[in-house]
Amino acid sequence: MLAGRTAALASRLSGRGSGASIRGKITTKLDPKAFAELIASRRIAAVTGTNGKTTTTHLLTAAVRAGLDDDGGQVVTNADGANLHHGIVSALGEAPQATTAILETDERVVADTVRLGHPEILVLLNFSRDQLDRNHELAFLGRDWRSALAAAGPDGPMVIANSADPLIVWVCQRARAVVWVDTKPRWTADSTLCPNCGGVLIHETDSWHCPDCPLAQPEADWWVDGEEAVSRKGDRHHLDLQVPGHFNLTNATCALAAAVEMGISPDDALAGMRTVSSPAGRYATTTISGTKVRLLLSKNPAGWTESLPLTASDPLVLAIDAVAADGKDVSWLWDVDYEQLAGRMVICTGPRALDLAVRLDYAGVDHVVIEDLAEALDSPLLAGHWDDDHPIDVLSTYTPFQKLRRLGGLA
Amino acid sequence: MSADMNAAPVKIVLLYQSLLGIYGDHGNAVVLTKRLQQRGIDAELVPISPGDPVPTDGAVYLMGGGEDFAQTTAVHELKADGGLFTALDNGAVLFAVCAGYQICGKSFTIGARDEIIDGLGLLDIETRRGPERAVGESLSRWTMPDGTVSLITGFENHGGWTELGSDATPLTSMEVGWGNGDGQTDGAVQSRVIGIYPHGPVLARNPDLADHLLSTALGHELEPIDQPEIDALRSRRIEAVRAGRP
Repeated sequence: MLAGRTAALASRLSGRGSGASIRGKITTKLDPKAFAELIASRRIAAVTGTNGKTTTTHLLTAAVRAGLDDDGGQVVTNADGANLHHGIVSALGEAPQATTAILETDERVVADTVRLGHPEILVLLNFSRDQLDRNHELAFLGRDWRSALAAAGPDGPMVIANSADPLIVWVCQRARAVVWVDTKPRWTADSTLCPNCGGVLIHETDSWHCPDCPLAQPEADWWVDGEEAVSRKGDRHHLDLQVPGHFNLTNATCALAAAVEMGISPDDALAGMRTVSSPAGRYATTTISGTKVRLLLSKNPAGWTESLPLTASDPLVLAIDAVAADGKDVSWLWDVDYEQLAGRMVICTGPRALDLAVRLDYAGVDHVVIEDLAEALDSPLLAGHWDDDHPIDVLSTYTPFQKLRRLGGLA
Repeated sequence: MSADMNAAPVKIVLLYQSLLGIYGDHGNAVVLTKRLQQRGIDAELVPISPGDPVPTDGAVYLMGGGEDFAQTTAVHELKADGGLFTALDNGAVLFAVCAGYQICGKSFTIGARDEIIDGLGLLDIETRRGPERAVGESLSRWTMPDGTVSLITGFENHGGWTELGSDATPLTSMEVGWGNGDGQTDGAVQSRVIGIYPHGPVLARNPDLADHLLSTALGHELEPIDQPEIDALRSRRIEAVRAGRP
């Protein structure tokens, strides 16, 4: 493990990352069985989905720590969002004494986690188009999860699952036990066809069903009403979160349901979740180039659809890149309803700012292009349009988001 | 088809976006509609969902990318409806990309077992699973009707490779990327049906191709539009793909 730690330090010093994934890479190189060994011996809750993984993992970790009265020794998590095999190995290897692990799990690692880690809890948040340049078909990952849950049989996890997402409901048909959370999403473009039979799904105001086979939205055990998480048993819990947005109310409801299944009292769970303010830099405010900014991350059309309505500033800064971590194909820019920004000024920044500019031009949204992130936040257009309580919103894809965190001294 | 000032708006018909729109493909419909409106021509984007009747009086029809099940459903629905075929007989233009291009052909394959599915039969092409998946930025050369060459820049992502029969003509010759599979040509043209692999808003990056579709459908040339941002984006993408960068 020492070699891994040294490389992580080198990675941090070279400014390339938090060090977590590098540490993990060296560890698995030294011992290819590390993932299986480190994950097998603990109480595991795994969190996955296209959007909300990092925030939900932070919320669930805070809930469980509050419930166990843990100062950080008993509960380990991969808080930095390093969620592939390497990142998980790295987090677990750092905390050999921890008995409980709350793991953000990349979609591609879910099957291995179920097979090798026998998690007690698996949270399935949502499934939508993301980085199609490498995840070619959504249905493929769905089949992978479904077979892992089927293979786990009676040893499988308790699944906390999104009942509004047809692909997730289909995945869970083979699960041992499911607690359903109705998330009422804005984005439904990836649930046109029945994942079971290929029929055209019928979406009604509060539910969906397949006209050609029995697949239908299950009755929810938990849902969100206003700012409250409500259970079918009749409990109502005011969430009172620091993280903004409807989607974080549903993320918190999923975390609350998971915590309750892990034996944590709702009051402890809520108290823990209320301490979460900027998970891995999301929603953090800081100062860059003399401008007070709030950093928001969105990685795919479903994420942008939920996040754009959260932005308040005018001008608004949107940062786009398309290297591997962002997805190399920016076609998704046309899946996002940028038309809603008409009337506001947008500063397009990042290496793919021009792709966004052409999109905004066709959407009839006023904009300028300043490709360099630091220069964009130094623009005279921003002067006088923010104060400490009303920062400039900066919504980014993954790579510019990490650069902005460093520019703002947050990472 | 005429653009008479008193005529009804020119219809840009977007077919089955819920099935064939996984790569932001409705962007092509937005681009065509806006480019008419920017020239003062009354135009209307008409989205058609599976089960809706396909109008027969559209000027340009569009189909985009989709997954296997969606391709099969789209073919079934379009054949059952019949409106697209009537519209093409009336002189409309069909522009199809990615999976939409494949289903225009005589046949294509789906699923892990490569089941062969009959297509719409509008293009003399056949698509089968290729030896590798074609994913990445592509660049090809399109010879416009006036004989000049316009570069087509886009992003392709497809597992099928396409072979053209004698009734179809390749649309472009490849410079970077797979295109129809062998890296030689991309797309196909047959009468007023045009298909190509780069998916999503390929017309946003390629205004010459967008205007060609419109002028073919309207039967007359269109005045040029000053578009410095599109020109800047094009030169950036062309430079990047030639240098092998994303």
